[in-house]
Amino acid sequence: MTNRLPVLRAERRWSQAELAERLGVSRQTVNAVETERYEPSLSLAFKIAHLFGQRIEDIFEADGAKKN
Amino acid sequence: MNSQKSLLPCELDRRGLPLVLAALAWAALFLGSVWLLKNVQLPTSARLGLALLPAIPFAVFLVAFINHLRRLDEMQRRIHLEALAIAFPLAVLLLMTLGSLERAGLITVEGRFFRDLWGFLPVLYAIGLAIACRRYR
Repeated sequence: MTNRLPVLRAERRWSQAELAERLGVSRQTVNAVETERYEPSLSLAFKIAHLFGQRIEDIFEADGAKKN
Repeated sequence: MNSQKSLLPCELDRRGLPLVLAALAWAALFLGSVWLLKNVQLPTSARLGLALLPAIPFAVFLVAFINHLRRLDEMQRRIHLEALAIAFPLAVLLLMTLGSLERAGLITVEGRFFRDLWGFLPVLYAIGLAIACRRYR
């Protein structure tokens, strides 16, 4: 699964630690999600989407999925 | 992208301090009681107390460990789950191999070795933790 988290974070000039604090997770978790080593739960994905004011599918994309 | 990297396999923060302190207290009491039981002649009641004494800090450690796990986020909990998933088969492998070598007559394992074999289990858990942490680093 790919994601636009690094881009969205960079747009807001947030550090990984800052984003982690806003999401209530560790910096290690933010790093793992950004580098696509860890796929977040639906609950965390919703939290991320809500934080950036976007839909989950606008941030995360399953491998091989085509956007309409 | 922020590329901060910790030298530790997993980041430890201040919240993990009670866990470390409880583990150190348990280790100190355990090693102390083992030394006393081995080197000092004591009445049975005192020996019983010394033998059971390390269970108290271990219970404190257990509570601290559970509290620590509850404070972790979803990925950190997953790391601990994977650590257990790695450590358990490693323990089976260790015990099975030792048993097979002993059965084949290639090694002689004394009873006292099995008595202290539990000490390897936290080491295997730590190995599992290191492997799992590396994956998400």
